[in-house]
Amino acid sequence: MTKVEAIIQVSKLDAVKDALHEVGVEGMTVFEARGHGRQKGHTEFYRGREYTVDLIPKVKLEIVLADEMVEKVVQAITTAARTGKIGDGKIFLSRIDEAIRIRNDERGDNVL
Amino acid sequence: MTTGAAVRSELRNLYISETTAIAQEFSVTGDGRAAVAKRTSLVDSIVHRLWNEIIVGSQPATVNPGSSNPGSVPDSGPKTFALVATGGFGRGWLFPHSDIDLLFLHGGGSSENDFKDSIRHFSQELWDLRLKLSPATRNLAECEKLDPNNVEFAISLLDCRYLAGDRELFSRLREKAIPRLVGRECHNLIQNLGEITRARHHKFGNTVFHLEPNVKDGPGGLRDYSVANWLALISAMEKLKLWPDTNALLPASSRRALDAALDFQMSVRCFLHFRHGRHDNTLTWEAQDEAAARKIGTSDVEITSAADWMRVYFSHVRGVHRVCTQLLEEIPAAWSSLHRQFQGWRSRVASDDFSVVDGLIFLQQPGGLRDPEMLLRLFHFMAEHGLKLSTTTEYKVEQALPALAATPPRGAELWLYLQETLVQPHAADALRAMNALRLLTLLLPELKGIEALVVRDFYHRYTVDEHSFLAIDNLHRLKESKSEWDKRFAELQSELEQPELLYLALLLHDSGKATRSDNHVELSLQLTNSCVERLDLDPADRETVRYLVASHLEMSAAMRRDVFDPANVKSFAEKVGVPERLKMLCLMTYADIKAVNPEAMTPWKADNLWQLYIACANYLSRSADDRVHTGGDVANLAHLRSLAPVAGKKINIFLEGLPQRYLRIHGATDVLAHAEMAARLGQDGVQLSLKQIRHWYELTLITTDRPFLFASVSGALAAWGMNIVKANAFSNAAGMVVDTFYFTDRFRTLEMNLQEWERLKKSIASVVKGEADVARMLRDRLKSEKSDSTKIKIATQIEFDDGCSANSTLVQVLTQDRPGLLYKMCSLVSKHECNIEIALIETEGQMAIDVLYLTSGGAKLNAERQSVLGKALRDELEPK
Repeated sequence: MTKVEAIIQVSKLDAVKDALHEVGVEGMTVFEARGHGRQKGHTEFYRGREYTVDLIPKVKLEIVLADEMVEKVVQAITTAARTGKIGDGKIFLSRIDEAIRIRNDERGDNVL
Repeated sequence: MTTGAAVRSELRNLYISETTAIAQEFSVTGDGRAAVAKRTSLVDSIVHRLWNEIIVGSQPATVNPGSSNPGSVPDSGPKTFALVATGGFGRGWLFPHSDIDLLFLHGGGSSENDFKDSIRHFSQELWDLRLKLSPATRNLAECEKLDPNNVEFAISLLDCRYLAGDRELFSRLREKAIPRLVGRECHNLIQNLGEITRARHHKFGNTVFHLEPNVKDGPGGLRDYSVANWLALISAMEKLKLWPDTNALLPASSRRALDAALDFQMSVRCFLHFRHGRHDNTLTWEAQDEAAARKIGTSDVEITSAADWMRVYFSHVRGVHRVCTQLLEEIPAAWSSLHRQFQGWRSRVASDDFSVVDGLIFLQQPGGLRDPEMLLRLFHFMAEHGLKLSTTTEYKVEQALPALAATPPRGAELWLYLQETLVQPHAADALRAMNALRLLTLLLPELKGIEALVVRDFYHRYTVDEHSFLAIDNLHRLKESKSEWDKRFAELQSELEQPELLYLALLLHDSGKATRSDNHVELSLQLTNSCVERLDLDPADRETVRYLVASHLEMSAAMRRDVFDPANVKSFAEKVGVPERLKMLCLMTYADIKAVNPEAMTPWKADNLWQLYIACANYLSRSADDRVHTGGDVANLAHLRSLAPVAGKKINIFLEGLPQRYLRIHGATDVLAHAEMAARLGQDGVQLSLKQIRHWYELTLITTDRPFLFASVSGALAAWGMNIVKANAFSNAAGMVVDTFYFTDRFRTLEMNLQEWERLKKSIASVVKGEADVARMLRDRLKSEKSDSTKIKIATQIEFDDGCSANSTLVQVLTQDRPGLLYKMCSLVSKHECNIEIALIETEGQMAIDVLYLTSGGAKLNAERQSVLGKALRDELEPK
């Protein structure tokens, strides 16, 4: 099993969700996030006050998948979230040892 | 004698078979009260049996043996030791999975030690039967003391009931110890009960209107029923020093509300316990569906859906919550000196119509509510002072409703009171009270469909009507909030010109949810149309409310795109059009999201909303010079031409080259009036109109552009003692200007002397024509003004921007507001040979925020001119 963590632009969330549903992903966890990579912050003045945003709003998706699904899902996310500009985000993959459904103690890929 | 395996088995079988029988009977009858009584009786019999087996059988030789016949009522047995049911068990309210509260009461001496093992054994047997026992062991003296860390125990004694053992000991507890405890500690008991109850209500957002309510602990639930009875009982016992007649504790109207609710709530809670197989009191959506299908507690009411059934549920719990919160206000007031002082202060707000006693509103003339205006004034009074209606006042309101329903107030008369109520700090509470008494839907039938309406989604926590009240309350609470985000949005709120329109829009924004549809906004808009028409709002105000309701999801949608993307900002800002609407929409979005559930407005969302707001606000002030071209496709033009087909050409000439912003600020009526004024310029070169709009005056000047024009009019108004709070200056392609000044009359000159209206207009006209010396007029005025009285110092900031306009240089000046400021600033600009193409003047508190689009020789200002002008402005405007 693999955990996919994708940090994407807020504006791309709906497109990514649709793309994931299309490749058969039924569940995901979405977090409101802030951060920046090479993309820097933003400053706006209003009424003589400076409002600086060092950390840009993003959303983070977490999905745990059976290994055979991973490439398909990564492809779906990159296609849907890409604008080609700095700030499109990142995808991180990591190994997951086990998944357990709390309701009935079920384990393994069936839980996903 | 010890309890043998046979007795244990017999009791287990008895418990299982009887419990099954109770469940089966409930599934047929749905009678919660009967189920609760039967389970109480079942547990009583088990407890009696165990008492005889374990306690009576183990008593030391020194005490008198009691009857050990199973099933007999054991009024004999060990002396100085008794078994007492307390809490819900004491009341006889054992729900299918309720805890069993038992008190092992000792009279002193050695009984505590003598029965220690037996009590443990007795408790163990009950636990083995899977009964959830909550035992307490106390002696009489301990029962008479209030433990500040366990007030709940003292409260549970109010429901004590004799079960077994020394009956005389129990009598001493009930007839002496408890009245003495209550007499001595009534203040603490009431105060603690109030605190516990308020904390519990707070946990549930202080509202009964949850989509998945808790029928026991939620506001208006069974716990509140008990709290109302305890409060009344303590209060009566404190006065009488003995147990009062429980049937006469509450006024008849309160008793009716409580009794009607109790049968229903008992059935619902039994249903939930049986359904969930455990002590779970949450009325989930699935449970609501099943309860509606089985008509739990509602056999005599027409139920076609879960939403119908939930309305019955809410009508009951609302009644209980009302009685409970009224008693929480009424009863402590009699004792606490601090509370008394506070209430005394509140009673000073009483008027000719209403008196205030202990924070509750009473009518000075009980028959007065026959007058609909008095009824509306009552809720305005409530909204203003944050008071509750007394029970008698509520009763009078209910009595007045049938007559009111025949000819409900409408039109401007109703809107006048409604808008005054909506802007008051406790408006949401007044609306809730109006809703609970069915007055709100009588006045605004558009809200009928969302009354106590459960719309299921994964985000909303409250019913649709409560969500709307909460959204209004969210805005009113901004000022007192300490949260960074609330403070920012509170500033915006204080700048609103017509907050009442925003509140009305919030009240109506989800009214369309009454009908199941993918797009509730469309239906909300239809209902809003009918509402604003019936309230007879001004056309411009109707348009604003309609706009807000129609657009209430737009800003959330824009937040889901990139809030830093200039294209997104431009597109959204242009859709909104004017700063005032942007402010309203931003606040509406903030309040709406926050009212979804307490966690919905995260700092992440608040920041995104703020960033989008300021980006759009800046865009709107930096894009003011996009011009109207009448040959092009301008949506408003077709509408204007349709309103005045004959004047089509005149309008075209007038509008050609005016900034688009002009059309966004002024409605069709204004534009047509201005075009008429422009057409009269041939007769008189200075056209002026002066009118009063709400708390300010509006002066519109149409004339041919000339140097120092804007400065001169600003100076003349300042010389008259007027405070300019807002101004716009626009010019068209033909060199004609349309300047509008919004000002307050600091010395009430116009209000007190009607003839001064004409004199002011003449004075302005003579200044415009160069016949009067504005500098001298202003000097005389400023001489008579007191010196610097400002409390907050605003540092001057001057910023030039060459990039935002194709033809002009924008200068934004933020500085301390003061009399004659606009005149000084604009004169200086003109002296430096700069022409003011557009002026957007605003005042927020003590800060003046002025944006001028300047040209010099028909082009943008070069760097040198910007530098010189900037220095001159700084020198002039910096406080000396």
